[in-house]
Amino acid sequence: MIRFTLRQFRLPALAGVVLLALAGAGLLRLGADVRAVPDPARLPDRYAQTMLFLAGGFALVPALLGAFWGAPLVARELETGTHRLVWNQSVPRGRWLTVKLAVTGLAAALVAGLLSAALTWAAAPVDRAAGDRFSTVLFGARGVAPIGYAVFALVLGAVTGLLLRRTLPAMALVFLVVVAAQLAVPNLLRPHYLPPERVTVPMTAEAVNRARNLGSITGGPVVGGLDVPGAWVTDISPLRTADGRQLSDAAFGACFRDPPRTGATGTFGDTAVCLGALDLHVDLAYQPNRRFWPFQWIELALHLGAAGLLAVLGRWRLRRRAG
Amino acid sequence: MNPPPPVLHAERLTKRYGRRTALADCDLSVPRGHVVGLVGPNGAGKSTLLQLVCGLIAPTSGTLSVLGSPPAADAAHLARVGFVAQDTPVYASLTVAEHLRMGSWLNPSWDAALARRRITEAGLDPRQRAGRLSGGQRAQLALTLAAAKRPDLVVLDEPAAALDPLARRDFLRGLAGFVRELGATAVLSSHLLGDVAQVCDHLVVLCAGRVQVAGPVADLLAAHHRIDDPATAPAGAEVVWAEPGRVVVRGPAVRGGAPVPLEELALAYLSRAAHRPSAAVTR
Repeated sequence: MIRFTLRQFRLPALAGVVLLALAGAGLLRLGADVRAVPDPARLPDRYAQTMLFLAGGFALVPALLGAFWGAPLVARELETGTHRLVWNQSVPRGRWLTVKLAVTGLAAALVAGLLSAALTWAAAPVDRAAGDRFSTVLFGARGVAPIGYAVFALVLGAVTGLLLRRTLPAMALVFLVVVAAQLAVPNLLRPHYLPPERVTVPMTAEAVNRARNLGSITGGPVVGGLDVPGAWVTDISPLRTADGRQLSDAAFGACFRDPPRTGATGTFGDTAVCLGALDLHVDLAYQPNRRFWPFQWIELALHLGAAGLLAVLGRWRLRRRAG
Repeated sequence: MNPPPPVLHAERLTKRYGRRTALADCDLSVPRGHVVGLVGPNGAGKSTLLQLVCGLIAPTSGTLSVLGSPPAADAAHLARVGFVAQDTPVYASLTVAEHLRMGSWLNPSWDAALARRRITEAGLDPRQRAGRLSGGQRAQLALTLAAAKRPDLVVLDEPAAALDPLARRDFLRGLAGFVRELGATAVLSSHLLGDVAQVCDHLVVLCAGRVQVAGPVADLLAAHHRIDDPATAPAGAEVVWAEPGRVVVRGPAVRGGAPVPLEELALAYLSRAAHRPSAAVTR
């Protein structure tokens, strides 16, 4: 069964190898370029955009694997009727699916692992200088987590194809679902893998000016983009007054729209001075950078677990499949 | 010693697709060593019955045992049943030789010599991609794959449907020959009565999801007669179908009764089923 799976997988695998070789060559070159920069302190400025861009593109790899390797795995057989041929060889259907998933899943893990290793290596000097590999976007393009994404996407693709019984709709659906999962996991799940550390930051005028943005679209008293050195900030509370209550929209709006003129400089100028005088603070939740590897393993385990559950669902569906 | 279990044994076997009943309360028992013809019009439930036999689908209710176990029970059981599906699906991008290799990889009981010989006899080029084979060649390839497992039971769903009349005759003759050679039982469905009459020694007539009549061809032929007038039917005989000039009765020998060819016998039951869908099922 393994040999036959490999034979059927030959063409998709070949396409994968070619793309992998191209990406690998590109990453090797990037790694060489990065290492040719004499002053490591200048690396973050120079490569921050590139790294974000690469991580964004990297996030599509599992979606592509799921759509092009996973979705046709079973759906093609159902579409062409060859399931009626192959399911009557001396291999029970459950084992047939398990072997197919194991072989292609391993291949997907290999592709994602190699790409991640190349990117992690190429980006290492930048990551060391910037210290931000734990950030929402970059985390998913480093270490072992991408292996989990790839295996999950592949099994999801195969099982979706099994349920939909049509290749093209399955490919489209899997692509969308995997992209959605890539957005949902970092924002909704990952912050809660381990209980976050908490810190209260007094919002002096100086602290306000360090924020990236101020005020929600509805005029709420929120600040965005505050950093904790050596950590990934997962949650920032609204601006709070000394008694712990949220600053009223009216008080915030007054400072925001019509602050007393002091001629202050800084990102938010007079508004920052006005807010700084109110004795405000925010409560931050953050995950320190030393948790990078525990989080990588948790993320890997989570996705492999989900893939395993999907595979069980697929086997169950296959056994009691009608028509 | 107990007699070996029948090749097929169904009790009140029923399969529904949503509201549509494809097979209703089907009771059937087929002994070993026969070429069984399963005839009926399109939509009679033939494919449903054969897919149930191969375990491709599961029954809604009732029981079915194939060679003494549930269909497709495990790898060993799968090895004992060869299946040629309707439209004889093959992998279009694999060559004939690669199909044989698949067979040898996926079947421990694979008979490579038999497979090679059949491919040669059928005039297939091993290097040819299966997607470029004609319908008849594809049917030959599919039959070879099923046969080289050396199964105890070969199930063929309309295997000759894609063939022209001449190729069909050759295919069916070859089929009968090799079933004898394997010492296997074959179940073969067709909507063409002529095909079945040619090769089968056991007949199952299926119509509207029900078994209309089943039994060894010799027994069926002996039990049915054609008479001219239903009024002359002897006591104890059952009129299967009556139309002017053609009355088929089942029962003891009738004076003046003529033998009924198998095609006409099957047709009588199909006609009855078509006119009286709830007609009593005869066995």
